[in-house]
Amino acid sequence: MVGVLRRMHALREKILWIRHGPGAAVLPPNVTRIHLEFAKRINGGHMGPRKFWQENLPRLKFWNPQVPMIVNRCDDTERPATLTLYFRDDGAPAKIEGTQLSSAADGTSTAPAPSQGERTVVLDIKGLHSEKILEEFMAKTSATNVQLTPQEEMELRELEDLRKRGEIDRKVTKKMIDEKKREKARLALAMSEAAANKASAL
Amino acid sequence: MASTNQCVASMARLNLSYSTRRPAISTIPNFLLPSVATPQIRHASGSGGGGMRKRPEKPKKQYKLFRSYDQSEQQKFSLCDAMRYLRAFEVGKPPSGAKYEVHVKLRTEKAGPVVRNRIRFPYPVSSDTRIAVICPEDSPVAAEALQLGAVVAGQESLFESIKNGHFAFNKLICHTESEDALKKANVGKLLGPKGLMPNKRHGTITSDLKKTINDMVGTDEYRERNGVVQLAIGQLGFTPQMVADNLKVVMERMKKDMDAIVDNGHTKHLDEVVLSSTHGPSFSLNGKFNPTEDNVTVEQLQSTM
Repeated sequence: MVGVLRRMHALREKILWIRHGPGAAVLPPNVTRIHLEFAKRINGGHMGPRKFWQENLPRLKFWNPQVPMIVNRCDDTERPATLTLYFRDDGAPAKIEGTQLSSAADGTSTAPAPSQGERTVVLDIKGLHSEKILEEFMAKTSATNVQLTPQEEMELRELEDLRKRGEIDRKVTKKMIDEKKREKARLALAMSEAAANKASAL
Repeated sequence: MASTNQCVASMARLNLSYSTRRPAISTIPNFLLPSVATPQIRHASGSGGGGMRKRPEKPKKQYKLFRSYDQSEQQKFSLCDAMRYLRAFEVGKPPSGAKYEVHVKLRTEKAGPVVRNRIRFPYPVSSDTRIAVICPEDSPVAAEALQLGAVVAGQESLFESIKNGHFAFNKLICHTESEDALKKANVGKLLGPKGLMPNKRHGTITSDLKKTINDMVGTDEYRERNGVVQLAIGQLGFTPQMVADNLKVVMERMKKDMDAIVDNGHTKHLDEVVLSSTHGPSFSLNGKFNPTEDNVTVEQLQSTM
């Protein structure tokens, strides 16, 4: 197994990544579920939706673990890319009729119709940048962004310092390795020349 | 430095009778001093050889145990906390494509017996077990095998399909009647690398098909490799309680295996338990269950992804 410190270092970065950044927001209680649909290939404006799924949705899921977030990816790039938001404004507990779908990579989990007392907002996100999708999402759901705690700020700064330090160290090491390689090549050249000279002298 | 001081001291002694003034030599930097001013001091040990003595090369230290690390500074997580992170990392992945897995690191010898066993989970993890049985074609045994849920049963036809590279199964059993045929069929090279070759020691050459197949369906195998046991313990849709139950069963069974090995005079102890998922990072567990952060409840982690 990889050493404890190395593992912990990698984990700390990932934890900070998922806790903060674009998409780290708490949804109001009237949002019951989210459905996202786009194509597997990016042609025709499916890049933004995919990036939204990869970069923003994990953060949203972390801060709202109770909200089902279903992603349906299909093969057909001609189909529209949509983001469907389900709201329940009467304050009743979020009860979903039938079995709740799970995410699919074969296009079978299409957006279900809203159940009794639910309303939906459908956003057409084809061709939009993921930042723009997030902006619209935040406006429609009126979610509140999560603020960094002082300790997390400090950790972020530490990681940034470490990254800068790493860049410097990488340069130094590269210089050393290159010098070693050059030395080796020079030696190999000299040896081969010497061997050739010896052969010709005989 | 020492030699310079000694030199200065001796010069001072020489000058003692003439003057008590310190010589101006101390203002000159050490490296500018002429070499004659710093006579070499020879020691008894260096007088014989001249140059560095060659020490016999130390043999490289061989560690008997796998390395274990100091975990005092490691951040550890409760099961629900780890699952909250993992569920977030796995968001939008189809549930069939991602699983929770556990890595159990052991403090153990590099050479010696390994932990290896089959386990039946309270909540089955792998739903996909396809069994093939090697037995005489169209015999009552074949009929029984098919009835018990085997996908293929046969002898020559099965060998033929194996040689053609068609594997419609992921578990293979051989009936004792067909043992010789299996040996003659020369398929070990194809089956061995996939871990499918029937073997008496593993109980996959058997005369009691019913028992073997029942053991196989819904059981998972685990095995220690490089001091770590890794196995899938839950589907992505499992609730924290389901994962906890499965994990408990694994740990209890593994404890028994380890105790048996320790009784035989080997080292085998639990070092660390790590939970991860197919696409997520790994979280070292602290053995607790409940979420630690405010406003997160176990119920919230039970919803559909």
